[in-house]
Amino acid sequence: MNKKSRLSLLLVLVLACTAILSACGGTNKEQGAESGSSPDAGNQKAVELIWYNIGTPQKDTDLVMEEVSKYTAEKIGVTVKMKQIDFGDYTQKMQVLTQSGEPMDILFTASWGFDYVQNARKGAFMELNDLLDKHGQGIKETLDPAFLEGSKVDGKNYGIPANKELPAQDVWRFNKQWLDKYNLDIAGVRSLESLEPLMKVIKENEPSVVPFMIDRNYVPNLPYDYIIQNLPMAVKLDTEDFKVINILETPELKEALTTMRKFYQAGYIASEVATTTNNSDLTTTGNWFVDRPTTQPFADNLWSASLGYPVVSTPATDSMIYNWSVMGSLQAISANSKHPEEAMKFLNLLNTDVYLRNLVDSGIEGVHYEKVSENVAKNLDKSRDYDMPTFAIGNVMLNYLSEDDPSDKWEGFRKFNDEGVPAPLLGFNFDGSNVLTELAALNNAKDQFWAPLMTGSVDPDKYLPMAIEQFKAAGLDTIIAEAQKQLDEWRATQK
Amino acid sequence: MQAILQIFKDFHKNLPILLMVLPGALGFILFSYLPMGGTLLSFKQYRYNGEGFLSSFFSSEWVGLRNFTFLFGTNDAYIITRNTLLYNIAFIVLGTIAAVAMAILLSEIVNKRLSKLYQTGMFLPHFMSFVIVGFFVYSFLNMDKGLLNSILERFGMEGISWYTTPEYWPFILILTNLWKSIGYSSVVYLAAITGFDRSLYEAAMMDGASKWKQIRSITLPLLKPLVIIMTLLAVGRIFYADFGLFYNVPRNSGALYPVTNVIDTYVFRGLKTTGEMGMATAAGLYQSIVGFILVMASNYTVRKLDKDNALF
Repeated sequence: MNKKSRLSLLLVLVLACTAILSACGGTNKEQGAESGSSPDAGNQKAVELIWYNIGTPQKDTDLVMEEVSKYTAEKIGVTVKMKQIDFGDYTQKMQVLTQSGEPMDILFTASWGFDYVQNARKGAFMELNDLLDKHGQGIKETLDPAFLEGSKVDGKNYGIPANKELPAQDVWRFNKQWLDKYNLDIAGVRSLESLEPLMKVIKENEPSVVPFMIDRNYVPNLPYDYIIQNLPMAVKLDTEDFKVINILETPELKEALTTMRKFYQAGYIASEVATTTNNSDLTTTGNWFVDRPTTQPFADNLWSASLGYPVVSTPATDSMIYNWSVMGSLQAISANSKHPEEAMKFLNLLNTDVYLRNLVDSGIEGVHYEKVSENVAKNLDKSRDYDMPTFAIGNVMLNYLSEDDPSDKWEGFRKFNDEGVPAPLLGFNFDGSNVLTELAALNNAKDQFWAPLMTGSVDPDKYLPMAIEQFKAAGLDTIIAEAQKQLDEWRATQK
Repeated sequence: MQAILQIFKDFHKNLPILLMVLPGALGFILFSYLPMGGTLLSFKQYRYNGEGFLSSFFSSEWVGLRNFTFLFGTNDAYIITRNTLLYNIAFIVLGTIAAVAMAILLSEIVNKRLSKLYQTGMFLPHFMSFVIVGFFVYSFLNMDKGLLNSILERFGMEGISWYTTPEYWPFILILTNLWKSIGYSSVVYLAAITGFDRSLYEAAMMDGASKWKQIRSITLPLLKPLVIIMTLLAVGRIFYADFGLFYNVPRNSGALYPVTNVIDTYVFRGLKTTGEMGMATAAGLYQSIVGFILVMASNYTVRKLDKDNALF
């Protein structure tokens, strides 16, 4: 007995040691591989590019990248190693990786993930203007000029935007099943208030359905263009004088919040909305009636396919080109890249070469997908092991269509892009480095009041004045003054 | 010469013991002393220059105490300091009382099998992450389907919107933390109690002392040094709040911030969008310094009162 227990203790110790050692060893090995940008054994001259991308890590990534490397080694003399970081971790992990000088050449950035403007200013990315002129001619030709113009930071380009939808437009998206069942008409729907009669029908007849599916990040649409997303300073969309105002003090916001509160009390909104971060349970079961996503051309097809049941949508806002929509997806070259020229050559190829773009996006032909016709492809079972975020990897308009897509899909995109109206602040990027202390306090105030107020979970008559007071105490007026100063300077250079 | 020889002699004599200390000491140097150089970051505005961390570190600009101002600049400073301190004091006081009580109760259970069962049951929550605990609490407090509201409604009362009502949260948080931590700390005390000399109790029984008397006159006095050490160690972390408890359990609900915002969550919320390394380091350094001062002060007080029980 005694011997046995001593033996098991020893076993536990050994196990613990190996666990610790292997954990350390694992990272070491990885680091070794990363730092080695030495050429592949087969290709004497090929340079290895390390590419950090957003998205859930896929089983077949290395396999596909091998295939990519074969092609690019021949064409431009580079091989590619992609490292994927999941959506939820991307910003934080990349902050640590770039700040500690991890070797990398190309990396994903956006207004919503690993903040493009902020990190460009902090020096995480290489300035691309010269490189673009030298090796990026193809990008300049294919990309809508508004993308490169709109993604400039202090007059310089730090990232290659993906060629995709340029403006942003919110729509009311309805679960068609309930529309049909109660014979509801969405023709007259546009404003928030206009949803009420429809939601009322659903609430009365379908107690298990959530009429208005939103989460804690929901903010009512207001005719304002924000200086920083979700901080209460903005200019009016039809502004003439470009005056920055506190959005909490506007009548439009008050009205929208009163409506939201009315919806909340009527039970149109889930009672725990202020702490809800995702609604996948509702989307899976179909127990929702309307929500408000951002659209793109032919989005209804895409949504119906991915949800597995039909949805229809109708516009909730005008289609406008905002800073954040232009910077929705970019690929940048890291400031510490040893091979910036090769990286630019690769990005150029990725944005112009149909074979490469589809290889990176959908995997290997015959393994992950098969071609149905010239530019239409069908996913095979193996595509589950290689599911990439299409929007994140360059020019989407080179992609093969899926079988349900209309044949003029990319035409539709171009038309959609042409019709977008520039928002007043397009091209202006606020620099917060003079007001970092205030911004930290402001973000706390925002986290405290934003979700409860915007979702109608608390009474705006009571909480809105409290929020205004708290934001002011956090230094909102200082930041507005700073924003106004920078905005005036920017406008002076625009004339 | 003689002295050096003596050192070698001592070294040789104590070699096995020194070897035993080696892994721990190495770990300390690697993970606790080496990174201390990094605290200098709190006086810099860290900007990377593309040449790696060290080079960026040296090329970053010195900004003096500017990184610390965000902790004190607003009226939030009072709220987060108050919350952090009061919650931690409550955790220390209630946690110690509950853990000692539990340890004594467990030690008095005659049936060893049952005693082990209770111990395991109490210990289990310790291994759970606060993310999971947060969902447990949510299943109690959900407004429409939560257990508590169902009970309230059965008794004809109106359900409470727990996640927007700050008044209840000090109790919920303290209760949750006790539930999670009590098993672990009571094991420490239980181990000490099992080690006490049984003959003391036998003698007390001979003299006709009741159970209660035995606990008061033997167990508690013997436990005192351990309680003091544990409390001193806890006081050193009084300026650190458990991020998981204060962020995940209230589900990051904004309406609850007046009673759930603590230093750690404040720093996280303030800097998650700007990602300023200097400011985050400043917050950490500030917490460490206050913790250090508090440990020294409380140890000094203990030493004044009772020299034998002081930590150092």
